[in-house]
Amino acid sequence: MKAFPVVKIIPLLLLLAAWQAASVLGLLPASVLPPFSDVAVSLGAMLRSGELMANTLASFARAGAGFFIAAIVGVAVGLLMARRRAVERAIEPILLLIYPVPKPAMIPLFMVWLGIGDASKVAVIALACLLPIVIATFNGARGVDPMLIWSAQARGTSERRLLWRVVLPAALPQIAAGVRTAIAIAIIVLVSSEFISSEAGLGYLIFSYGGVGADDAMLAVVIYLAALGFLLDRFYLAGLRRLMSWHAFAH
Amino acid sequence: MPASACLEMRSIGMRYGEGAQAVQALSEIDLDIKEHEFVTIVGPSGCGKSTLLYLVGGFLRPSSGSLCLRGRPITGPGSDRGIVFQRYSLFPWLTVRSNIGYGLDEQGVARAERNRIVDEYVRLVHLQGFEDRYPRELSGGMQQRVALAQTLACQPDILLMDEPFGALDAQTRRILQDEVRRIWRQGAKTVLFVTHDVEEAVALGTRIVVMAARPGRIKEVLERGFDVADGEEFETNSAFAALKLHIWRSVKAEVEAAHA
Amino acid sequence: MPLLTRIVPIALVLAAWELVARTGWVNPNVFPPVTEIVMRWFAMFADGRIYAPLWGTLWRALAGLAAAIAVGVPLGLLMGRVRWAEWFFEPLFSFGFPLPKIALIPLYVSWFGVFSLSKVMLIFTDCLFPMVLFSYHGARGISPMYLWSAQSRGTGRVRMLWRVVLPLSLASIYDGVQVSVVVAVLVAVVSEMVSGGGGLGELMIRSYRYGDVRTAFATLVTISLVGFALFKLAQWLRGSLLHWHVAEA
Repeated sequence: MKAFPVVKIIPLLLLLAAWQAASVLGLLPASVLPPFSDVAVSLGAMLRSGELMANTLASFARAGAGFFIAAIVGVAVGLLMARRRAVERAIEPILLLIYPVPKPAMIPLFMVWLGIGDASKVAVIALACLLPIVIATFNGARGVDPMLIWSAQARGTSERRLLWRVVLPAALPQIAAGVRTAIAIAIIVLVSSEFISSEAGLGYLIFSYGGVGADDAMLAVVIYLAALGFLLDRFYLAGLRRLMSWHAFAH
Repeated sequence: MPASACLEMRSIGMRYGEGAQAVQALSEIDLDIKEHEFVTIVGPSGCGKSTLLYLVGGFLRPSSGSLCLRGRPITGPGSDRGIVFQRYSLFPWLTVRSNIGYGLDEQGVARAERNRIVDEYVRLVHLQGFEDRYPRELSGGMQQRVALAQTLACQPDILLMDEPFGALDAQTRRILQDEVRRIWRQGAKTVLFVTHDVEEAVALGTRIVVMAARPGRIKEVLERGFDVADGEEFETNSAFAALKLHIWRSVKAEVEAAHA
Repeated sequence: MPLLTRIVPIALVLAAWELVARTGWVNPNVFPPVTEIVMRWFAMFADGRIYAPLWGTLWRALAGLAAAIAVGVPLGLLMGRVRWAEWFFEPLFSFGFPLPKIALIPLYVSWFGVFSLSKVMLIFTDCLFPMVLFSYHGARGISPMYLWSAQSRGTGRVRMLWRVVLPLSLASIYDGVQVSVVVAVLVAVVSEMVSGGGGLGELMIRSYRYGDVRTAFATLVTISLVGFALFKLAQWLRGSLLHWHVAEA
């Protein structure tokens, strides 16, 4: 993993220290914000009891499923759109219709269609992630140097191999950027959907703890979620670098 | 009456980096610029001529040595040293009028007085009728005229120019050279002008400083010795040609030495 | 011309939708025909019940956005030009970015109540990040020679920020505004769906609870149009505001 300048954590630590100091000194009443120490204790307890782990799995199962559906379908559609004008003409109007619609606003509609369970959440997350991935893949695939494609075709490469071995790798940087956006979108749509209706998951935890006034537990989950999002992004970037270097050697 | 020193540079050194990787951009520069002189600095790329100008402007701090303007040490930028760059001199969001009046606005000059002074400088650079245009609507040559007017309006003690006409076509460059010369004569300003164009250096400078690179240093200083009239076709002037050839060979020798 | 080639395929898609819904292939109470949705949409305007929620969402989004611009732009510019500001704030914003600010809804509700203030504060928080980011990048991208020119014309450090750095960063800042305006509408709607208090989001949830799918769709259309209209408005305003701007080659 690329060296993360540890110095960057200092402002964060300062903020936490200020928070704790303000609470201890009575400047910050517990009704407004519980002391950071309480939040930390709560976080520890939830980690130990497995409550966080169970709900993390529930949340990420949904988000992961939606995301992966979007990734596979999105890349496939994007590649096809880039290679076949007819496909582009057919799909583009649908994208244009969906693009301006805020996907979290579609959650109630998905609940009408697929019920209040996991299916509706997975579906709306999939739809939300689909757009950035399709667009990024399409742009990436279109941007491939035609010379690369022509030389491969001159060597008798089939369309399928062409897509897999030439177009996809060349479009990878742009697809990767779209995927990164999609990950962030997935988390937002996930939490929104869990706020609206669910009985398990990190969003559900935040909502229910907040609802009963257990602010220390709620904040513990919020901080946990923030850390998770941050680590996810970091691991994504690191994994991407690994993948790119493998691919460079494979060719 | 001998002209007094306007600018004094003593043992100026400029070093970038540390240890083995250190680059000596300038080394032991000693130069005096007298009042009302038009000094051009010419040399190959990397000789530090622009760096020297930026030191005078106060945007950079020398590693060693001292700079004094009319007896006062230079510690930072200020309106007593006006500078015209090749680009980024004009503020694109301001009209010609507001650009020229910018320095006056900073000084807190009242609007009526400001407008009067701006009109004066608009006339000086022959841009009447363009006061309310934006830089993007002007040609490169006109933009540099505005930049010049903007700088002069602050009435600096010395005018610094960093290859100001480098991005312009040859004809526009000639016209603007004449403009600068004319303005200099009229206002008797002190000018320090950096260029890589030997012809421009001779056409404008009453004194020409030739610099060499690695490390940046003054190779020779030449008095032009003759006048150049506005609009003169100095191709026909043999003294001009001789001086130009001398300097050109001097610079060329440095470029070849660098490549050796 | 491009508009026409865009409209025709969309019209085809809508026509296909209409057909599928009308033939009873899908339950029209779950997936209503386009024409019925459009009629409901017009009806909502005719009987006026769209105006209150529409206005609610709109003013919250704009208020939150305005606050985010007012705080985010100076902060971003400061971070871009002053070392210690960058050192202190940049990690905070980097860490905060991956957190869906929507997760803070319960916290904001406990602080600011269930009505408009908590929503505006949430919109403010969500829009603050892009506004700071774009302002920061705008300020960082300024060529130092502009600043040198300004210095040699007598501009002091403080005046430099709003006399020179701000106009030069304006193009980037405005990109941030265009991004944020869409975020503002989105967050307004989601917070309304979660915590009620009027607005298009609450209308959405209410029509869902009553099983009124046509209204739900019509509300969705309205939400999309609001976001789209604001984005286009911002784009159109850019021309007048930044008429002097020439993109660096």
